[in-house]
Amino acid sequence: MTHLTFLIVGLGGGAVIAALGLGVVVAHRASRVVNFAHAAMGMYIAFVYYELRSTGDLVQPLLGLPGRFHLIDRPTEVTAFVIAMVVAALCGAFIHAVIFRPLRNAAPLARVVASLGLFVYLIAIVGLRFGSQSASSRVLEGPLPNELVTWGDIRVPADRYWLAVIVVAAAFVLWLGYRYTHLGLATRAVAGNERGAILVGISPNAVGLANWMVATMLAGAAIILAAPVVRLDPSTTSLLVVPAVAAALPGRFNSVWGTVVIGLAIGMVQSEILNLQGEWTWLPRIGLQQGVPLLVIVATLALRGDVLPDRSSTLGSTLPQAGDTRNVPPIAGLVFVMAAIAALFVNAEWRSALIVSAIATIFALSVVVVTGYVGQISLATFAVAGVAAFAMVRASDDLGLAFPLAPLLGIAVAVVVGYLTALPAVRVRGLNLAIATLAGAVAIEELVFKWAWFTGGFAGATAESPSLFGWDLGPEAIGAAFPRRTFVVLTLLLAALCVVGVANLRRSSTGRRWLAVRANERAAAAAGIAVVRVKLTAFAAASALAGLAGVLSAYSASIVSASSFGVFDSLVTVAIAYLAGIASPIGALVAGGLAEGGLLTALVDTVNDDASQYQFAVNGVLLIVAAVKFPQGIVGTGTRARRPSGFGAGAATDQTSPPVNHRP
Amino acid sequence: MTASVASGSGQRQRPTSEAVLVVDNLSTGYSGVPVVRGLSLTVNAGEVVALLGPNGAGKSTTLLAVSGVLPALTGSVEVLGNPVDRRAPHRNARRGLAHVPEDRSLFADLTVAENLEVGLSGRRSATRRALNVALDHFPELGSLTSRRAGLLSGGEQQMLAVARAVATEPRLLLIDEMSLGLAPIVVERLLPIVRNIADDLGAGVLLVEQHVDMALGIADHALLLDHGELTLSGAASEVAARRDLIEAGYLGGVSSTEHRAT
Repeated sequence: MTHLTFLIVGLGGGAVIAALGLGVVVAHRASRVVNFAHAAMGMYIAFVYYELRSTGDLVQPLLGLPGRFHLIDRPTEVTAFVIAMVVAALCGAFIHAVIFRPLRNAAPLARVVASLGLFVYLIAIVGLRFGSQSASSRVLEGPLPNELVTWGDIRVPADRYWLAVIVVAAAFVLWLGYRYTHLGLATRAVAGNERGAILVGISPNAVGLANWMVATMLAGAAIILAAPVVRLDPSTTSLLVVPAVAAALPGRFNSVWGTVVIGLAIGMVQSEILNLQGEWTWLPRIGLQQGVPLLVIVATLALRGDVLPDRSSTLGSTLPQAGDTRNVPPIAGLVFVMAAIAALFVNAEWRSALIVSAIATIFALSVVVVTGYVGQISLATFAVAGVAAFAMVRASDDLGLAFPLAPLLGIAVAVVVGYLTALPAVRVRGLNLAIATLAGAVAIEELVFKWAWFTGGFAGATAESPSLFGWDLGPEAIGAAFPRRTFVVLTLLLAALCVVGVANLRRSSTGRRWLAVRANERAAAAAGIAVVRVKLTAFAAASALAGLAGVLSAYSASIVSASSFGVFDSLVTVAIAYLAGIASPIGALVAGGLAEGGLLTALVDTVNDDASQYQFAVNGVLLIVAAVKFPQGIVGTGTRARRPSGFGAGAATDQTSPPVNHRP
Repeated sequence: MTASVASGSGQRQRPTSEAVLVVDNLSTGYSGVPVVRGLSLTVNAGEVVALLGPNGAGKSTTLLAVSGVLPALTGSVEVLGNPVDRRAPHRNARRGLAHVPEDRSLFADLTVAENLEVGLSGRRSATRRALNVALDHFPELGSLTSRRAGLLSGGEQQMLAVARAVATEPRLLLIDEMSLGLAPIVVERLLPIVRNIADDLGAGVLLVEQHVDMALGIADHALLLDHGELTLSGAASEVAARRDLIEAGYLGGVSSTEHRAT
């Protein structure tokens, strides 16, 4: 009977996943985007609701305007819910008009980046508006009754049943709406053939607007109703998008009932795993539940994927131009010399910023290789880096390896793990690959980083300071001498070498094969390039870079904790690398400067002490703007201004890919 | 440059009150590069105008510019007395312009009936009447209404594409390469239906077609485009008589210049 009890308890979590999955389906039908910010939108709306309930204040999301204003004293549940739904509809309309409508015909990667920007922005804005309150997962009194319901031997809180009933009802309404209303018919028409829809007199913009309003309201309602079950916390709640996407994926982001069934099933299996972990003591304590969505995603993609892409699934053709890199070594050298000289004179705060920027540059280079040069996308960069950092600590603590060997072993482990996360890339590409790697990153976070022996548990693991022949290379020092200048220069040197290395790879035959695969996998295969091997080589190179960055950040922090290698950081890194110029090593240098805690932060801090707290939110805004207005990134825009324009998916205007510059 | 065979009833001369489409000195193309240059034409209500020419002559481009999907570089397009709306091209469809593009632009996942209904206002009586009009012209579709469009044969899909346009009861109908990929025998059946649509609905039809003889057989007027410029225009029977010019246009080369000089 306990099995049944746990399965029914799991209806609660499953209903949230299913409801979020439904919203993902609606947004996908409207804009052909997998909205990674979907759960984050719901998270913000839920914060609005619970703040209304407790203080009567309405919290608005736009940066630069007053954060909150008093609306009514102690609104009832219904009033607060209605207001929250109105806010949700307005947010949905705004998001469509400002972000996804302009991106209707843009490259899929631009849409992914825009949704990541929205994700970052919403988490940042909730942090700003609610401060420390947002981080603590408060015990919330939800609108649903939660007394225990006894049914035979099974005693389950009533809200679990309610949630399941509500999500099935919502799915039924959506299904009816898509089938029998004119708006539903128009939505299916636009999703099927946008040009055809325009030619019969349907406005894709009006259809998109209505669907985005529905999607945001669905997200808000799901999180509001389920907050007592799933906890309300900016980042944890926002990452519920992973199981939601897993639920929507088998139905190709198109099936209402498939999404609901799989969403509920994921929740129930997760709950049953909790039960089994109690019964079967040999099961790992942690992480298994998060493995369920990953399993669904990998199984779906493995059964669906094709070794070569169909006509529409590449993101390569609209990536920024991967220009010649002949001028990179001198630039990198100059930047290194200037930074190294500066490191000798500046104070501790700026030295820390230099370290952060150097490490972020290496992280961004990893993205440049995988996404900028090979046209694949990986959202597991930081997970791979974390594996390297912890493997290094274990190698020096348990195996007693000395300085150069332990980090090298760590990087080698990172390459192996990165290789494994890249295996889906053999068969899936574009958005599906982003989803697969995101699920892989979450799985690493839950399975590996919560493994106390490997990571030292809550306290973290201590990285032994590096030294070579008695020469201390580490950052450790007393007082203002921390971080030590030797370590700063070492980090800068490694970053500069990596920049030059990637630039040289780009000009080698390996680099030409990368670009060939990026431009057209089918043509590359036809020209005799082993596409699979080329992709895996690139992922291995990128993992080595990520591993190096992970090892360096372990040294710089000295205490390594799993929290410094979160999924969120991977998303931000891809986004910032895109913003800076994703197809250029110089772009990676710029990305290093822009990174949180890096040179830009230090500069902003010097000017104004309070300003840096806005940096996350501003980054989110910048990402969205970059994705919408400058698909070439900061570095690319200077060299070549090309604005994709034109009409409809099938218009002849936007099929010219930027020529890839093959210099012998 | 234009060899006008027509003398009295030349259709370029007088845009009458019943003109549903007036194109004046239109240049249009892609990314600012003109494909069609200085084109002028008129389509009157109830009239079928055939737009002929070899591949790359600019026929489809002309239709896209007429339906507001491509920008005009110079010149103007007036549909039913109003300038064509290029900022919100779906509005043109609501005003009575129907465009059957070369790729048919069907909704493969929707049923035949849904494909026919999707462009309509959603009011039940209007929907039923429009469906009847469409099925009158294409009775074959009557038994297929609940089948998904993606599962139809090529000929059936083409019928559905035209039927979908007819269901909106257009006053101006643009049809692009209806015969693409279809057996000649199917084309022989489809083209007379176009004639009927023009006669029954009083709609003006601008027809792009590669089957020159069949198109001339049902058209009132014909225009020959070559390299984006009008090289011949006139009544269909008169254009049909100038086979040499048409062949020169399709095969390219010296003879066309020779004839133009005469």
